[in-house]
Amino acid sequence: MNIRSNTLLLGIASAALLASCNKSERTPENPGNFIIAVTPAASTGVADYLLTASSLDTGRISTAGQGVEQDGTYRYYVTHNNKFFSLLYGQGNPGAVTTYNILDGKLNKLSNFQTETVQAFAPVDDDLLIMKISRNITNPFASWYRINTNSLQIESEGQISTSAPSANGELAHFSWIKQVGNKVFAPYFSIKACCGASFETAYPDSAWVAVYSYPDMQLEKVIKDNRTSFIGRYFVNGLGETENGDVYAFSASVAMTDGALSSTKQSAIVKIPANTTEFDQSYFFDIEAASGGYSISDWFYVGRNKFIVLLNTADEKGPYAAGKTVGIVNVVDKTFKKVTGIPAATDIKSITSLNNYSPQDGRFGYVGVNLVSGVGYIYKIDANNATGTQGLRVDGGTITAINHLN
Amino acid sequence: MQYIKFYATAVFFCGILLCRAQENHYQLRGTVTDLDQRPLSGATVKVGSLTAIADSDGRYHVADIGQQQVQIAVTVIGFEPYVATRTLTPGTNTLHVALTPETNELAAVDVMGLTKAQDANRQAYNVTAIDATKLYNSTMDISGALDRVAGIRVRKSGGLGSNFNLSLNGFTGNHIRYFIDGIPMDNFGSSFQINNIPINAAERIEVYKGVVPMWLGSDALGGAINIVTGDRYRNFVDASYSYGSFNTHRTVVNTAYTSRSGFTVRLNAYQNYSDNNYKVTVDAADINTGAYTPGTTIRRFHDTYHNEALVAHLGVVDKPFADQLLAGITLGKNYKEIQTGARMVSVFGGWHRRGTTIMPTLKYKKENLIPGLDVTVNANYNLGWEQNIDTVDARFDWFGKSKPTGTNSGERSRSLYKYRNNEGLSTASFNYRIAERHALALNDNFSTFRREGSDELNPTNAQYERQKRTYKNVLGLGYHYDIKDLWSTTVFIKHIHQHNRDGADAANAMDKLGYGFASAYYLTPHLQLKASYELTNRMPTAYEIFGDVENQEGNFQLNPERSNNANIGLNYDFALHRDHRFSVNTSLIYRRAYNYIYYRLNNNQSKIVADNRDGVETFGGDAEVRYSFKNWLMAGATMTYQHIMNTQKYEEGYTGVSPVYRDQMPNIPYLFGNADIAVILRNVGKQGNTLNFGYNLLFVHDFYLYWPSRGGDKLNIPQQLSHDFNVVYSMWDGRYNIALEAKNFTDARMYDNFSLQKPSRGFYLNLRYFFNKQ
Repeated sequence: MNIRSNTLLLGIASAALLASCNKSERTPENPGNFIIAVTPAASTGVADYLLTASSLDTGRISTAGQGVEQDGTYRYYVTHNNKFFSLLYGQGNPGAVTTYNILDGKLNKLSNFQTETVQAFAPVDDDLLIMKISRNITNPFASWYRINTNSLQIESEGQISTSAPSANGELAHFSWIKQVGNKVFAPYFSIKACCGASFETAYPDSAWVAVYSYPDMQLEKVIKDNRTSFIGRYFVNGLGETENGDVYAFSASVAMTDGALSSTKQSAIVKIPANTTEFDQSYFFDIEAASGGYSISDWFYVGRNKFIVLLNTADEKGPYAAGKTVGIVNVVDKTFKKVTGIPAATDIKSITSLNNYSPQDGRFGYVGVNLVSGVGYIYKIDANNATGTQGLRVDGGTITAINHLN
Repeated sequence: MQYIKFYATAVFFCGILLCRAQENHYQLRGTVTDLDQRPLSGATVKVGSLTAIADSDGRYHVADIGQQQVQIAVTVIGFEPYVATRTLTPGTNTLHVALTPETNELAAVDVMGLTKAQDANRQAYNVTAIDATKLYNSTMDISGALDRVAGIRVRKSGGLGSNFNLSLNGFTGNHIRYFIDGIPMDNFGSSFQINNIPINAAERIEVYKGVVPMWLGSDALGGAINIVTGDRYRNFVDASYSYGSFNTHRTVVNTAYTSRSGFTVRLNAYQNYSDNNYKVTVDAADINTGAYTPGTTIRRFHDTYHNEALVAHLGVVDKPFADQLLAGITLGKNYKEIQTGARMVSVFGGWHRRGTTIMPTLKYKKENLIPGLDVTVNANYNLGWEQNIDTVDARFDWFGKSKPTGTNSGERSRSLYKYRNNEGLSTASFNYRIAERHALALNDNFSTFRREGSDELNPTNAQYERQKRTYKNVLGLGYHYDIKDLWSTTVFIKHIHQHNRDGADAANAMDKLGYGFASAYYLTPHLQLKASYELTNRMPTAYEIFGDVENQEGNFQLNPERSNNANIGLNYDFALHRDHRFSVNTSLIYRRAYNYIYYRLNNNQSKIVADNRDGVETFGGDAEVRYSFKNWLMAGATMTYQHIMNTQKYEEGYTGVSPVYRDQMPNIPYLFGNADIAVILRNVGKQGNTLNFGYNLLFVHDFYLYWPSRGGDKLNIPQQLSHDFNVVYSMWDGRYNIALEAKNFTDARMYDNFSLQKPSRGFYLNLRYFFNKQ
C-alpha cells in the first residue's frame, strides 16, 4: 500500500518534471556580434538573459531555452575596449561585474570582479569610470572607481563631495557621467536626500554640470544654466558630443517638489561649445515649442549632429518615464522630426533607452521596441528621412539593451 | 501469526484522599496502562461530558465533576475501550484502568516513535504534529524539527540564528502564521522566532497545511504552525546544556512548581550563542583591486549570534473560577552580526542588529464555566524594540581586512535606526458542547500596531513620517460534529476586519469573509480518510502597508490576498507478522492564490516594496511512512513533491500572454524528503539505562534560481544531501542524558539559497537533567 502510493507519487512527480522540461519550444541560436539583453516580463524571479544575434535588421531570437542567465534583478551593461560589462545593481551591497567578449559569435566569459553598486558609469580613456552616489543627506559623498579594462581590476578610487557642487543645502546626484576631452562632465540633479522626499528638490529650475579633472577627479568648476531644468534623469545620459567636440545637453524638465512636477522651464537642449566649460548663452533649442508639446526623456547620438530622441507627451512626463514616441533632432539645424513607421505609442510598452546601437554613420540607429502584446522588435531608425523599419524579432521578454562587439 | 492471548482486566480503586473539596464536587484521577502496566499516553478519558487526555506517564485528572453518578469511557487507538458507570464519592476518586489490545487481525498497531502527537495527527485537518519530547536530547531549534515534516522546507541563510524562510506547500513568509499555544506570534519580535526557540520549550508542534482551524484565530494564507508548550508536569525540572563546533553554547531550563493549593510558578529560560565561524568556500575579492580568488576556503568572521530569553508565569490552577489564571512576562533579547548580503560575495564586517522583547502576558482558561462551556482568554503587549546598526564606514573582504570608504556610507547604509511597533493582542475563545456529538466554537482575535522609530545619526529622517496605525479583528464561528472513531466534521467561517491609518488624512478599511470545512472518516479503525477546504484571506501586515523606514517602502494601496486551499489525505496503520509495524500518511494538496503579495524593488531600487500579483496554483503531494520492529528499531521517511505554477497570465501593461505564464515558480524547492533510522538498546550498563543510535538524512532536489523555461546557461541551487548522526545515553530512566551529535557528517557544501553556504561539519555534546514529581 505505502509502496504503491509512493511509486504513484514519484510517477506523478517525474511526469510533471518531464513535462516542464519539454515545454519550452527552443528558437535556434543566432550567433553573432550583437548582444541583446532580454528580461522576461514577470513580477518575480526576474533575471536578464543575454542573447546574441548576427543582424539587427532581420531574424528572430527568444529567451525560451536560450541565453546566458545574469544573476540579480537589475543589471546594467556597457561596452568598452571591445569587452562587454554586465554590472549587478545590488542596492548598497558590493556589486559583481561579469565581463564577456565574443568568440565565434558566442558570448565568452572573461572574468568576474567586484566593485560597488553604482548609479553612473562611462568609458573614460582605457578605463571604465563608475560612481556610487549617495542619496542620504548625512553622507554627502560619491565614491568613484577607475576600472582598467585591460587588467579588469580597480586601478584607483576616491571620494568627491556631493554637497560642494550646488552648495544649496541639498545633494548633487549625478544623472550620468561622460568623458569630454580630458575631463569628466557630470550633470546632476539636486536632491533633498532625506526622509520621504529623497529625490525631490527646492531648486527645479536650474541645470548644472560639474566638471572634474581625470584621472584624479578633482572638481574644477560647476557650470549652471537657469534657462532649463536639470540635465538628463536618474540613470539617463543627458549629454552628447558631436564630431567637432561641441557638447549638447537635454533637459527632460522632470524635477519634483512635494510629490509633483515643479519646473517652470521647458524641456530643451543647451550647448557647451568645444574646448569650453560654459553654457553657450546664444544657443537654446526649446523642444516643447519645436515638437508641439513633447519633452525629451532619453537620446542617443547617430553622428553628423543627429540624435534619436525618445519623447513624452505632457501627460506621460515623469522622472522615471522613458518616452514611447521617437523623434530625430538635428542640434545644429535646430530641427525636429517625428519618426514614422514605429507602432503607435499606445501599442508600445517600452523603448530601450540606456543601451542603443548606432554605427555612427550619421544616419542609422537601432532601438528595441517592446510591444504591449509581449513581442519585441528591433527597429532600424533612418535619421535622414525619419522612418523606422521593423527588424529582429525578440520573443520571451522585454529588450533592455542592444550592444555590439567586434 | 501467533498472538499471545491477552486477557482483560479493569481494576479500579475508589478512595477519599482529600476531603477539602466542596460539597457535591467530585474529582477523578488515575492512570491508563496496557496489561503490562506500560503507560498509554494520549488515552482519552471521558467522564460524563468532561474529557481528559492521559500524559506521558499515563496519568489523567478530571476536576469539577458535577454529578455523582457518571459514565466513564477510556479509549486509545488499538485497544478495546473501557466503559463503566460509577458512583463517585465527594472529593477525589482514583481509577486505574488497564486496557486490552484489540483482538482483530490488524490490531495493536502502535508504531514506535508515534505518541501523543498522533492524536493531533488524527484531526480532520491536513495536520502533522511533531512530538517534541522525542527530540529533547538534541540541540535542535523549532525550525530544525519543522524541517523534517512532509510539505515543509526551512531554508536558512547560514548557521545558528540566521535568517530562515519556511515554505509550507510553496507558501512562505507572511503567508504562514505562527502561534504559541494558540496565541499568534506576530508581535513577538526577533528575539522569539522559530529559529531561536529551542525544541525543549515545546511539547509538540502542530503544522496545519492550507486549512487553518478556526480556533487559531488568524488570517493565514497557506497554513499555520502552532507550538504547544503544554503543562504536562506540575512539578519538574528539565535542564540541558550543549557545547559544540563553532563555539556554540545552548542552555535551556524549563521548570514548574505547583503547590497543593493550586499556586503555580512556571519558568522557561534559554540561551543560544554561536560564533558561526564555519568554513566556507567562496570567491574572495581583493578589496583594493576587486579581483576574485575563486575557491578560497575560509572561516566566517562576523557572524556571531546570541539570544537570551525568559518566559515566566505566576498564577493559580484548578480553582473553581479558573482552571488556569496566569500573569506573566516574556523577556528576550538578541544580537546578530551580518556576514553577507544576498550573495556570498557581499561581505560585511561591522553591520549588526539587536532586538528586545518585553511582553507582559495574561492567560485565563476555564472548562465548564457553565456545563459544556470552555473559555480561554489571552492578552499580551510587546514593548520591545529592534535596531539596525551600520556605523562602520568601510568595506571588508573575506580575510577580515577592511578599507575605509572615506564617506559616511556605513557598510551598506549608515544607520542606528531603532523602532518599536507597540503591538498588542488579545484573543478570546468559547467552546460550547451542545450535546454529545455537537459543539459550537466562537473565537475573536484583536490586534493593534503603532510604529515609532528614530535614528540618532539622522534625526531629520522621520521628519515626514506620519503616525501609522493598524487595528485588526478576526472573528471566527465554527460547528463541530463528531461520531467518535467514525466520522467528524467541522465547518467554520472567519470574518476579518482591518483598519489602517497613515497620518491624519489617509485611512482605509478592509473586510473579508472566509470559510471552510474539514472532515475525517474511519473506514476501519486504522484507515482514516480526510478532506478539507478553506477559502482563506490574509490582510497585508503593517510592514507591508507602511514599510519600515529602513529597507522596505510602504504600499498603502495593497489589497488582501486570498487562496482556495484543498487537501485530501489518507492515514493507514498496519502490522505485518505482528513485529513489523507501519504507519502511512499521504496527502494531496491543491492551492490557488489570488492577489498574491510579493516583494519587488521600488523605482529607484533603494528599497523593497510589497505588491499584489495575480497568483500561483499548486498541485502537490506528500507521503510519510514510519516503521518499527519490536521495540528496538524504528525508521521513517517523508517525501514531498509540489508543482507551483505562475498563474499571472498578463503582466501589468501587457496585452499578450506572459512568457512565464504557467511556468514553474522559480527558486522554490519542489522535491525534497527526509529519512531517519534509530536503534534503541535497553538496559545498557544498568537496568533502566538506554542507549540510542540515530541517523537522519535530508534530501533536496536541485532547483532553478530563475524561471525554468527561460535561458540556456542557467543558475541553480544544487542538490543537498546532509547526513546527521546522534548517540544518546540515558540513565536512571531518563533523568540523566548525554548526547553526541554530528551534523553534516560528510562536510558537504550545502545551499538553501543561491550562493549562501550553510554550516560545514559540526559536532555537539548535549547534557540534560530531567526530574519530575507529581
